[in-house]
Amino acid sequence: MSNPWIAIGALAVVAVLIPAGMIAVSSLLRPTVPEQGKRAVYESGEVPTGNTRIRFNIQYYMVALLFVVFDIETVLIFPWTVIYRDAVANAGLAKALGPMLVFIGVLVVGLGWAWRNGAVKWVRSPRAERQRVEQ
Amino acid sequence: MAIQVQYYLLLSAAMFCIGLFGILTRRNALLFLMSVELMLNAANVNLVAFSFQYGNITGQVFSLFTMALAAAEVAVGIGIILVLYRNFKDVDVTKAATMRW
Amino acid sequence: MATTLPTWTALGPALLLGITALVLLIVDSIDPDTSNSTLLAGLSTVGSLAAFLFAGWLLVSGTGQPQTGGAITLFDDQLVVDGMSLFFALIVTSVATLVTVASHDYIADQPYQAEYYSLVMMAATGMTLMGSANSLATGFVSLELASLPSYALVTFLKKNRGSVEAGLKYFLIGALSSAVLAYGISLVYAASGHLQFDAVASAVANTEFVGVLGIGVLFVLGGFAFKTASVPFHFWAPEAYEGAPAPISAFLSSASKAAGFVLAFRVFTTAFPELAGLAGGPVTVDWVLAVEVLAVLTMFVGNFAAATQEKVKRMLAYSSVGHAGYVLIGLAALGGAPDKGFVLGASMMHLFIYGFMNTGAFLFIGLTEYWDIGRTFQDFNGLAKQAPLASVAMTVFLFSLAGLPIGGGFFSKFYLLAATAQSGTWILGAALIINSALSLFYYTRVVKAMWIEEPVNDFEIDSYPAGIYTAVIVAAVITFLLLPAFGLLSPSAVTGAAALF
Repeated sequence: MSNPWIAIGALAVVAVLIPAGMIAVSSLLRPTVPEQGKRAVYESGEVPTGNTRIRFNIQYYMVALLFVVFDIETVLIFPWTVIYRDAVANAGLAKALGPMLVFIGVLVVGLGWAWRNGAVKWVRSPRAERQRVEQ
Repeated sequence: MAIQVQYYLLLSAAMFCIGLFGILTRRNALLFLMSVELMLNAANVNLVAFSFQYGNITGQVFSLFTMALAAAEVAVGIGIILVLYRNFKDVDVTKAATMRW
Repeated sequence: MATTLPTWTALGPALLLGITALVLLIVDSIDPDTSNSTLLAGLSTVGSLAAFLFAGWLLVSGTGQPQTGGAITLFDDQLVVDGMSLFFALIVTSVATLVTVASHDYIADQPYQAEYYSLVMMAATGMTLMGSANSLATGFVSLELASLPSYALVTFLKKNRGSVEAGLKYFLIGALSSAVLAYGISLVYAASGHLQFDAVASAVANTEFVGVLGIGVLFVLGGFAFKTASVPFHFWAPEAYEGAPAPISAFLSSASKAAGFVLAFRVFTTAFPELAGLAGGPVTVDWVLAVEVLAVLTMFVGNFAAATQEKVKRMLAYSSVGHAGYVLIGLAALGGAPDKGFVLGASMMHLFIYGFMNTGAFLFIGLTEYWDIGRTFQDFNGLAKQAPLASVAMTVFLFSLAGLPIGGGFFSKFYLLAATAQSGTWILGAALIINSALSLFYYTRVVKAMWIEEPVNDFEIDSYPAGIYTAVIVAAVITFLLLPAFGLLSPSAVTGAAALF
């Protein structure tokens, strides 16, 4: 039996290799067109300079809200994953998997509704829009 | 098992009272929400501590439900505070007083 | 009856309501930009009516009742279906049906209609589940499922300052009281180590933390006081009912209140009977006394405040607080009563009839808001000439609310009085009589304005919305029919309640 740390080391190597490989491949493939807008600090579509007490785009709120609600649902899924194997062994696949599928199905209906109603559609911030014209 | 359960009870009671104090004194609706969160977390402290004490996980599971409900409550609450701001141009809970209190 | 349905179908009413809510969301996802109000109102009415019929069929066929082998418990005793839960499922679904029918006209011009109906259905699901909750965990979760959509529904008219203010106040007090309830539950868990009602009942009998348990029970009582709009958490009720869209006021003041009561009944009679010595043991935490004080206070506060109001909707809101006091008699009079099923059954019958007469009265207010004729008593002057049929219906509701023998409210108040007499709690009986007499005074003001006074300002009613009219008339007919049919229903309430002891 080999040392279990070998597996962890291999995982670390893979974890470094994947992002490094992605950066390397994209720098080989992408066209290089330097432009002022690309060098600006990225602030998720908001203008990065000026007062902090500005009104943010409502879209941040929508995304944050969806994140809070759906993220918290993983709290309820996590204990289920821990006991999943035992549950399948004791109660059978249908009884272990069925209720969770129903739960996720309800969430999917909610997410689908939010999606169709434009909760995740990005609207442009009016302030950023103005700034662009001024430049 | 070094810490006696009374101390957990004291901790949660203190958290609950801080939350209650916040609710009674603050007029900003967002601080009100934070205070309510503090009170719900006081309940969670109790549940987890006594779950450990009794050796059954009922309390821990219920505290997960409490967390999920707190998140849902905040989601609805922030929505209401948003329309409050649009209608009254403020998040002061005492400003919304067109009806008699 | 040789029923072969699997046990989970006993939850059918709640499942039907929940599925209806999801279907409404799916319908809206298919075409989010337009809303076909007739389709949406029709779907939700069909869903709640189906749930109503299913609950009625289960109740009649004896599901979960002694003659078919007693209560059905599901999910490791977390949920229970018995006579009482089915009875309250009937109340909730009937109110939900009336509300969805009436909403068709009321919100016809509003955006987000699919969301409105979906939220109503979700709240109804939560309320139905509250009747079946058999553990503090499921009780709390279903209570929140009923509350969270209600906050959004009260704020539904989001350009209307009154509606937003009402929603804010409802939410703030609701969030506070749900935190208080959660803390109370955690203290009960601390003292007993269980959340399931029967397990709590056996564990608290010999707990070492009596003080902690006492505070926990009081906090739990406070949490239920919010849901039922009783003193000391009643402040939200007049604001929320006045500002909310009228069908939502009807829904909250009837169905939500009934759901709060059923959970309170079950918690206190199943989990905490020993504490107040109901099973014959020593009294450790005397919650019966606490409820008795709350009942008397709630009756007086609600009715005296109602008598001083100038707006009809606000008057009805305060009278709804007063009615919560009447219903609390069901718990408060348990102390010395020999037949506890009768005492609790009287409260259940009052909630059932209240579901129809109060919903009808609020929907009539919705009708006047639709016509835009104003909110004060004077604005109702001479309304009977313009809309005689609706005015007759409103008169039936108001007199039945006051307890006159024109609707089922007469017998249910009579039963409550008999319950107080049986347990010897004369102070509750006296409060009931005094407050009913007082309530007759302010209900009569509306009737007098409608039938006798001359109209002060001219208004011409040019349209008669079919949906609200149907709901009001149906509610009036049922309120009236419950007077002769009271004897048909009361046995199922009394046996349903008796099964708890």
